[in-house]
Amino acid sequence: MECLIGIRFKDYVLLAADRIDARSIVVMKHDEEKFVSLSDNLLMAVTGEAGDTAQFSEYIAKNVQLYKMRNDYELSPTAAAHFTRRNLAEYLRSRSPYQCNLLLAGYDKGTNTSHLFYMDYLATLVELPYCAHGYGGYFTLSTMDAYYKEDLTPEEGLALLKKCIAEISKRLIVNLPTFQVKIVDKDGIRNFGENDGIVEARKLANSS
Amino acid sequence: MSIMAYNGGAVVAMKGKDCVAIAADRRFGVQLQTIGFDAERIFRVSDSLFVGIPGLATDTQTVHERLRFRTNMYELRENRKVTPKVLSSMVSNFLYEHRFGPYFVEPVVAGLDPKTHVPYLCAFDLIGCPNEPEDFVVSGTCEEQLYGMCESLWKPDLSPEDLFETISQALVNACDRDAISGWGAKVYIIEKDKVTVKSVRTRMD
Amino acid sequence: MARRYDTRTTIFSPEGRLYQVEYAMEAIGHAGTCLGILAEDGIILAAEKKNTNVLLDDENFFSDKIYKLYDDMVCSVAGITSDANVLTNELRLIAQRYFLQYGEPMPCEQLVAWLCDIKQAYTQYGGKRPFGVSILYMGWDKHYGFQLYQSDPSGNYGGWKATCIGNNSNAAISMLKQEYKESLKLDEAKALVIKILSKTLDTTKLSPEKLEIATLTRKEDALIPGVGKTVVTVLEQSEVIKLIEAHEKLEKEEEARKKKEAEAKPSTS
Repeated sequence: MECLIGIRFKDYVLLAADRIDARSIVVMKHDEEKFVSLSDNLLMAVTGEAGDTAQFSEYIAKNVQLYKMRNDYELSPTAAAHFTRRNLAEYLRSRSPYQCNLLLAGYDKGTNTSHLFYMDYLATLVELPYCAHGYGGYFTLSTMDAYYKEDLTPEEGLALLKKCIAEISKRLIVNLPTFQVKIVDKDGIRNFGENDGIVEARKLANSS
Repeated sequence: MSIMAYNGGAVVAMKGKDCVAIAADRRFGVQLQTIGFDAERIFRVSDSLFVGIPGLATDTQTVHERLRFRTNMYELRENRKVTPKVLSSMVSNFLYEHRFGPYFVEPVVAGLDPKTHVPYLCAFDLIGCPNEPEDFVVSGTCEEQLYGMCESLWKPDLSPEDLFETISQALVNACDRDAISGWGAKVYIIEKDKVTVKSVRTRMD
Repeated sequence: MARRYDTRTTIFSPEGRLYQVEYAMEAIGHAGTCLGILAEDGIILAAEKKNTNVLLDDENFFSDKIYKLYDDMVCSVAGITSDANVLTNELRLIAQRYFLQYGEPMPCEQLVAWLCDIKQAYTQYGGKRPFGVSILYMGWDKHYGFQLYQSDPSGNYGGWKATCIGNNSNAAISMLKQEYKESLKLDEAKALVIKILSKTLDTTKLSPEKLEIATLTRKEDALIPGVGKTVVTVLEQSEVIKLIEAHEKLEKEEEARKKKEAEAKPSTS
């Protein structure tokens, strides 16, 4: 039911996540934060089993920060993604697997490259230009196939992301009224777009 | 739906005259949804030795990483390269260690012996039962189609060029009749002094 | 007096010393010399082989005293060889575990620090003796480039521009202090290694069979353009002979020059 979207461009990455927290048929919360910052230039978006998402993402975030304290330098986005995968993969075959799907967006200051990783609850790690978790994928991948270009400006990138969100709002039976958008680039992680990165999905769908 | 077919993908390997070839498709999907077009299922173990790991994508990655751990330690401790036979035993033992909670992959080992340059092929089931035929091995979601293609196209003592043509045709046409593999292919032709990597286009849908 | 305090590694003497650890360091003082020099474009490690026997069949090994740890790192050891084998195996495992976890090669200092934690544990926990091994490490990582480290039985380690362990290491280090200059090139470092070893080893004349020299440099990967790759080379016997000959020639010239000067001086005065 939940939805995460990520698009990687030449020197920045955009992530969007819906803000719904639902228990079976009840929506418990309309302003749930699904992002976790792992470091200054590394952002994770998580969905899945309620407790698992919080536990697992915090565990990874603290370990990434511990690495920085121990060594005075940070894990690269690729190394952090591997570390996350290794942990999830090990838990997968334990008695208590974590059930969370996540997107990892990062900017590597060493090589000046942006990275977007897709990882599902089975700990399948793939680096991709654009991807989505949840039912949103069925409605947005084709839009991104058609309009994605690596060198879009952040404004154009946001416009593409909004196209995708509008499509979800228009066609998906699940009501996801708002999305939070964040950008990761060389300057760090920020909410992106007007209204502090909060996108009103229904309004977009009606005007498109 | 079988867990072996959750992500889709196929690997085929063939013997030629003093050469071997191994090829795999590039699709990464989750059930029927295609997510990526540049999946890697074939990994280089040493100069003329490769392993292809089709199956559940997360296990492809885990098995590759854990095998790399073992081959690296082997090379450092023994101070010699891993031979195809050694890698085969390693893969077999590794998979059987997880007999009662297996990794959902069916690897294929292909390579030339570093000293004698004799071609070698081996395929495994998910608990490590080895199968060393003299012609070709197939593995993955379009295994049946691949068997049909290989049976009709493969001949003994193919030259590297002919082997490339044969394995590419076999893989491309088998993948075209499978909904969850395809999206291009990568072919490795392994000869005694060089390895050629070629990208092959298939139906891109 | 000392007897009461040096039977166990875990006990301090009244002067605040750990005798077993000091004895271990002493053992290394008798081991073959290892010398490392950090140059601008690479690093060099040289090791003295103590027991060279014609009957020894060592064809199967990378080399006797120099061990490859992983693609980006090499070490040489001074001390008890059997202890060293345990430690090099541990080093390799640590590096591979890191690679498995992060998908990237282990940064050099982390590997050294990890091993030193193990070495330290053997100076503290009961019933064990410390490892009688000092290690010189050379390596490359993306954070700090070329690096040279040294670790000793106490679990101390440090990064160096040039250093030496084993027999006569103090003499070698004081020579290094005088001869080392910033922005040294690898070729100059090779010559310097020979010069220092020829003066500090107990033998009067350097013999190539007793020396093992390895270098670590970087070059572009042949398969992936734009990506660097670490190259470790163990020098061939013939190249070591060449280096020794070059050194001897230089030495002779120097001697001749000095002689001439000495002869010239009295005549002018």
